[in-house]
Amino acid sequence: MAVAVEKKPMRKVAIYGKGGIGKSTTTQNTVAALAEMGKKVMVVGCDPKADSTRLLLGGLAQRSVLDTLREEGEDVELDDIRSGGFCNSLCVESGGPEPGVGCAGRGIITSINMLEQLGAYDEENELDYVFYDVLGDVVCGGFAMPIREGKAEEIYIVCSGEMMAMYAANNICKGILKFAETGVVRLGGLICNSRNVDNEAQMIKKFAEKLGTQMIHFVPRDNDVQRAEINRKTVIEWNPEVKQAGEYRSLARAIDSNKLFVVPKPLTIPELEALLMEYGLFN
Amino acid sequence: MSEETKNISILEGRKGQVWRKGEGGAFVCDRQSLAGSVTQRACAFCGSRVVLYPIADALHIVHGPIGCAAYNWDIRGALSSGPQMHRNSFSTDVSEKEIIFGGEKKLRAALDELIPELKPKAAFVYSTCIVGLIGDDVDAICRQTSAKYGIPVIPVDSPGFKGTKRLGYQAACDSISKLIGTGDTSKVGPLSINLLGEFNIAGEAWMIREYFEKIGIEVVATMTGDGRVDDIRRAHGAKLNLVQCSGSMTALAKLMQETHGIPFKRVSFFGMEDTAKAIYEAAGFFCDEVVMERAKNLVRAEIGEVLPQLKAYRRKLAGKKAALYVGGAFKALSLVTALRALGMRTVLAGTQTGNADDYAALRDICDPGTIIVDDSNPLELAKFVMEKDVDLFIGGVKERPIAFKLGVAFCDHNHERKIPLAGFAGMLNFAEEVASSVLSPVWKYVPRRSGLGMEGVR
Repeated sequence: MAVAVEKKPMRKVAIYGKGGIGKSTTTQNTVAALAEMGKKVMVVGCDPKADSTRLLLGGLAQRSVLDTLREEGEDVELDDIRSGGFCNSLCVESGGPEPGVGCAGRGIITSINMLEQLGAYDEENELDYVFYDVLGDVVCGGFAMPIREGKAEEIYIVCSGEMMAMYAANNICKGILKFAETGVVRLGGLICNSRNVDNEAQMIKKFAEKLGTQMIHFVPRDNDVQRAEINRKTVIEWNPEVKQAGEYRSLARAIDSNKLFVVPKPLTIPELEALLMEYGLFN
Repeated sequence: MSEETKNISILEGRKGQVWRKGEGGAFVCDRQSLAGSVTQRACAFCGSRVVLYPIADALHIVHGPIGCAAYNWDIRGALSSGPQMHRNSFSTDVSEKEIIFGGEKKLRAALDELIPELKPKAAFVYSTCIVGLIGDDVDAICRQTSAKYGIPVIPVDSPGFKGTKRLGYQAACDSISKLIGTGDTSKVGPLSINLLGEFNIAGEAWMIREYFEKIGIEVVATMTGDGRVDDIRRAHGAKLNLVQCSGSMTALAKLMQETHGIPFKRVSFFGMEDTAKAIYEAAGFFCDEVVMERAKNLVRAEIGEVLPQLKAYRRKLAGKKAALYVGGAFKALSLVTALRALGMRTVLAGTQTGNADDYAALRDICDPGTIIVDDSNPLELAKFVMEKDVDLFIGGVKERPIAFKLGVAFCDHNHERKIPLAGFAGMLNFAEEVASSVLSPVWKYVPRRSGLGMEGVR
């Protein structure tokens, strides 16, 4: 089920995964590597916390689309909501309500519509990539907005060898399956963000295989990621020489040259548990 | 006419809700509307709104998009003898911004603006669909606002998607029940009643109230026609509840029976027989000979007044056929009786929300061949109106266009009537209205009777 994405001028990528798995960190570090390669990338944070672009911008400097819309009404300019980050990357935060009020899902719908209206995706921006970094759980239709028709076309799921991360990844595949049936969205692979679980790489590889996809890269655990984060930087910006910077470059290259785009085959719960059992997690 | 109506079939899933007297078979009611049937029922929000809105000195604020408030604005012709606050339709005008960030602030701001300015005796805050969906904590805002201004601020849990308007009635009853029992009843006398489910359309509550005052029975609160917050707060002091619109208010009557030990009786003030029965039931309840004597005198005098004139109408209307489609089946019963008093036959009787007991009674009193329908729709109603070749259609605003398109005389017996149809004088008004419509020469020229058939309609 390969899709000829290379024909399209801009690749539209969404990153999903369990909350706290490291989606935003992985996305920004990967985007930094792509930008370093000379790619023009826009990141759209789709999390009410609006913290998806902090490392690229060197702090929480970004006014979210929805805050701007709330304060200034319909009269919004693209420059009000889009900032330049590391290596000419472009950063947008959707934003949303405080916890416990309103409807964050509707916020994402509104915000992406707004970006389209303002021409953020238009050709003159000469974007090679747009990355949507989406809140952990696809709890309602709003959080699936980035994978609806005409939005993201390839999805990468960040996971680890921990059971709940795999459950979440499997669930996300169910969502992708639904949208794949009606549109062009496809799964590009699993990104294993290691938690140092036993047999982690083998297990995620096997898991990916069962889903019909690939483990596109294994990102080892390295405290340099945290060191860079403390400094509000991606690893590549903070210290381009460290080993972890190379890992993100590898991931970026793998995505850039990826040709395997599939409709995933989500596992049943017993299948998933059998997999965990096989790799010794239950012992 | 049968040629045209043959092509209109009853939906498979609705067949149990259509019944012809004489043909037997089971009758089904009290169920969710069939998808695609285009029910005449309104949503839960609309149900709560029509029940509560006649409370004239309360602030009614609709927390939702502007359309919810606009489409229900002054929906009943519920008259007030004093304040007119109820005739406004206040709205928080919830839009995209509030949906994303929550509508609580806007609701709070609206209450903070309106309560000091209008000084209502209470405020009702209606939740609409979107508010139910985004989960604004309306209850908490009501509690806080109530404490701030020292008036009851009562949430009405009425998101439209909860169900039909019947569930909205329930939500309205729950909200009213929060007022009842909070007032001083020391001045309420032993011969006292509340009128439930009477909405003072065209001033009917005033007529009914007068009957009771004449025979020495005090009406503590009318719920909700010409309603006042303070009256409702002391309604638990009354000794008997009379429930007219059974669909909307039986729930409240039952609740008052449980919490305050007040018994209730279902009555109707439509038609001479039912009005007389209602007055006698109330008088009989108090076991007071003087009251009963006054009741008899009142009924005798009132009937003596209108009967000769009714007889004149009866001569002209005898044998005419009527179709009726109303909210609750208790009212349908009264109308069948009232039409019979005018010499007319009911050939189609339907209701939106009747229950099994109501329909059993309706089936009993109807003539053979009468069609009884539950939760009907425009197409079915049109079919039966044509099939039965009726002379009169009695219904509400949603039935009016069906009648007029088919060239049938129409009588509004719902929210939009401007002439009181309740009580003895109301029966005379009803006869006058029916006669002037049904006997109009215009019906000779409508397509279905002018020989053109349905071609003329198209």
